[in-house]
Amino acid sequence: MEPNPGKTPPRWPDKLLSWLVAPHLREEVLGDLHERYHRRLLRQGEARARQTYWREVLAYMRPSFIRRQTTGQQAGLFSSPHLLNPDMLRNYFKTAWRSLLNNKFYSLINITGLTVGLAVGILILLWVQDELSFDRFHRQATSIYRLENRVGTGTSQQIWTTTVAPIASFAKREVPDVKDAVRLVYNNSYTLFTYRNKSIQEQRSHFTDPAFFSVFDFPLIQGDPANPFPDDQSVVMTQTTAKRYFGAENPIGKVLRSTNKTYFTVTGVIRDIPKNSSITGDLFLPVSRLFNDMYTTRKDGKTKDNDFSQFMYDTYLLLQPGAAVAGLTDKLRTIHLRNKPDDTDLTYLLLPLPDMHLYRADGGSGSIETVRMFGIVALLILVIACINYVNLSTARSMLRSKEVSMRKIVGAARTQLFLQFLIETALLFVIAAGLAVGLVLALTPAYNQLSGKDLRLSLGNVSIWLVIGLTIAGTLALSSLYPAILLSSFEPLKALKGKVSSRLSEASFRKVLVVVQFAVSVMLIAGTFIIGHQLKYIRSKELGYDKSHVFGFFMRDMRTHYEAVKAELLGQPGVSGVTRASDNIVQINYQTGDNAWDGKQTGETMMMRPVAIDKDFIPFFNMKLQAGSNFTGAVADSLHFILNETAVKAARLQNPIGKRFRLWTHTGTIIGVVKDFHFASMKQKIEPAVFYYAPDQMGTIYVKTTGKNADQVIASAQRSWKQYNSGYPFEFSFLDDVFDNLYKSEQQTGLLFTLFSSIAILISCLGLFGLAAYTAQVRTREIGVRKVLGASISSVIQLLAKDFIKLVLIAIVIAIPVAWWTMNQWLQAFAYRIDLAWWMFGLAGLLALGVALLTVSFQSIKAALMDPVKSLRSE
Amino acid sequence: MRRSDLGEFEEVVLLAVAVLSPKAYSVVIAEVLEQETGQLVSTGAVHAALQRLEQKGYLSSHLGEATPERGGRRKRLFTVTPLGGRILSEVQSVRSRLWERIVPQTILTWS
Repeated sequence: MEPNPGKTPPRWPDKLLSWLVAPHLREEVLGDLHERYHRRLLRQGEARARQTYWREVLAYMRPSFIRRQTTGQQAGLFSSPHLLNPDMLRNYFKTAWRSLLNNKFYSLINITGLTVGLAVGILILLWVQDELSFDRFHRQATSIYRLENRVGTGTSQQIWTTTVAPIASFAKREVPDVKDAVRLVYNNSYTLFTYRNKSIQEQRSHFTDPAFFSVFDFPLIQGDPANPFPDDQSVVMTQTTAKRYFGAENPIGKVLRSTNKTYFTVTGVIRDIPKNSSITGDLFLPVSRLFNDMYTTRKDGKTKDNDFSQFMYDTYLLLQPGAAVAGLTDKLRTIHLRNKPDDTDLTYLLLPLPDMHLYRADGGSGSIETVRMFGIVALLILVIACINYVNLSTARSMLRSKEVSMRKIVGAARTQLFLQFLIETALLFVIAAGLAVGLVLALTPAYNQLSGKDLRLSLGNVSIWLVIGLTIAGTLALSSLYPAILLSSFEPLKALKGKVSSRLSEASFRKVLVVVQFAVSVMLIAGTFIIGHQLKYIRSKELGYDKSHVFGFFMRDMRTHYEAVKAELLGQPGVSGVTRASDNIVQINYQTGDNAWDGKQTGETMMMRPVAIDKDFIPFFNMKLQAGSNFTGAVADSLHFILNETAVKAARLQNPIGKRFRLWTHTGTIIGVVKDFHFASMKQKIEPAVFYYAPDQMGTIYVKTTGKNADQVIASAQRSWKQYNSGYPFEFSFLDDVFDNLYKSEQQTGLLFTLFSSIAILISCLGLFGLAAYTAQVRTREIGVRKVLGASISSVIQLLAKDFIKLVLIAIVIAIPVAWWTMNQWLQAFAYRIDLAWWMFGLAGLLALGVALLTVSFQSIKAALMDPVKSLRSE
Repeated sequence: MRRSDLGEFEEVVLLAVAVLSPKAYSVVIAEVLEQETGQLVSTGAVHAALQRLEQKGYLSSHLGEATPERGGRRKRLFTVTPLGGRILSEVQSVRSRLWERIVPQTILTWS
């Protein structure tokens, strides 16, 4: 513009300024500078003008010139109010509320889906949180380990969660890393306690070390914490237990009478042990009492400090912080071998206390699998619910694109629209979340019954509300952002021309989400089938004995009058057999490695389950002898043994009959081999077992009824109980119930899983229903035209359903391999399991397809049946 | 309307706008102030003060015509708003009231 270069100001300060100064000020700033330069040039000459030009430029280096304008300010006089202006907020809520009301159908679908999804998600996550919290409430939880033994060689290796008694004291004395040790052993000796005229049979009492109350977070709230057990006659109990005996009286110093004229003085009270503790109990007696009872009359020289063969103590070690676990177990093994050199196959293991509940004894995953599975199911259900919302709101975005465009044209900024849609979602969520929390509260009692938990939604429980809050917030974030971004991004001109819906990417994103939804549903259905089948399988699998209609009870003093009781019971109608044994056949708890046989190698151990049985025990339970013969009841039988097949295999005996066998101190011969039978949960492999004949040890009587008159038989059993055990409560159990109890947690898992997967597919279908309804709505005119041109109803239905069915089919293809892999993992937890078959997955897919078809076709048929005249006139 | 809203430089700039009205823009204001005070006054400083005054509502502005020496760029013209006028006269009356209370001897001792 100006020919003379001297007349223009220096170039590059200009460049600097036009880069630095905010765009809306650039014009006036540069104009001012140039004009000033020009004036100076005329007045003072070029040199002076150039000199001062720099100062002038520098004067603009201040924030008020550099700061960029916000979008709101750009519009100048017509700028919209601030994003969070109260007026705007009110407007957001108003429009959100209106849009909810205007679209009642979709709002209802969304709210229902979200409510159910949130409620179920919260319930499952609460369960998961409870499971994960097990044993973590101890302040020293991370330093406490359970001591375990791995025993046996080769295939007969086993993990024993109980140890010998002396190892605890040796560890505390000789291993510096061990700060303290606690032994815990179930109390079988003193079960009946009497205070004044109140007698209670205690099922959950233990012998333990005094350190029990300081190592674990079970501190004494009454009594002397430094000395919980002043002597062998002490007992510490929980608050509830104390209340049972003494009511409101102070329990300290009160005396309880127990079996055989023994007395215990209450010396301490602890708080009730929390539900999420693996260690439970009501009464605790000093372990020294047990040692006294066991060893004072012993003649074989064994004492509590040298008996390295009685594996019956739960031992917990409190380690110094930062102690290395690896070296420690070796030290313990050395100590053990020093005291009992022939246990060469024995090693020690340490399992962290917090892992006790969720992992198996060998550290492998136990119920953590279930917890993980449920956690994943919860997340999947929430994701499905979110997908519903996202799909419906993005699909319907085309209808709203005009609204968005109008808002933009009258001056709404994108952030405002974004906030508007966010608030719309949030409003819907507040309603759904409120309903969900209400639903959770209402369902908690039923859910507790189903899951066997004791979840309470108390306001004080922070972790529960944290779970609820995080679930809701996470779901909200997941489902609000994408639709809000999408909706606020429409360009007004294109949207008003109606070019929005044709954008391919959104539609395919929605398709992906539908596929995900149905893939998840198919996986859950397949999982339900497989879990159900496995449970049915283990319950119906041949046990190797017949337990039906059999009940049993511990005989106590009746034991010496067994023959008379038996004769009397057999005389009753409805009784088809009576026998006795030392243990419960459904669940044999005792285990020993104190045995020998012909051909046993040094250092070899076989852990086996010993049961003393009567001569009629094997026929009574319909067990089959594979070889040899049964006990005859002769005196010589006390030196005879019957092994199960697994024991024979583990001992590598070729012709077992007549081979020499030793159990504890009795050396005798093997006279028979019994076919394997399941005496534990199907999760475990059948272990070696041995039957021996020792009438004085058979404390449990079994009565087989014909199935009729069971009540009468129980009544007569109770009569003879009263005759010999007056004062003791009569407690019996049917073996069927004991057996069912073994699978209680699996049954619960199965039931919950069925429930959850049905809910998942329900929510998925709800979303599909909404989408189908929307598609039909959008294509009303198209369908009308087709019908006018002669399309049949079935072809219209096909047209509408085809798209969805394709998606569901893709979902099935994706879901099957994932489900296959996952369920295979789950089945690994069972020693006896079903094989996965194609039909399970096929059926799951078919079911999902069927449900989807049903959902979609309802809408399609409705659309197809519409009168074309009406539908064409409608637009 | 706190008095502290108005800085000294702002006050002078506001006055200059009133003086130069309706053709007040940063370059001429800066030149007037330079003449009156004898000190170098940059347009940047004036412009910043004008921005502040406009924000406070004492000034209003609109874009004016472009001139060749500005490289064809428009200038921003400022006018005093009623509010700004009221503030100016308030400031003036405070000052003159104070001036009137100075005893003549005191003024004599300065000169």
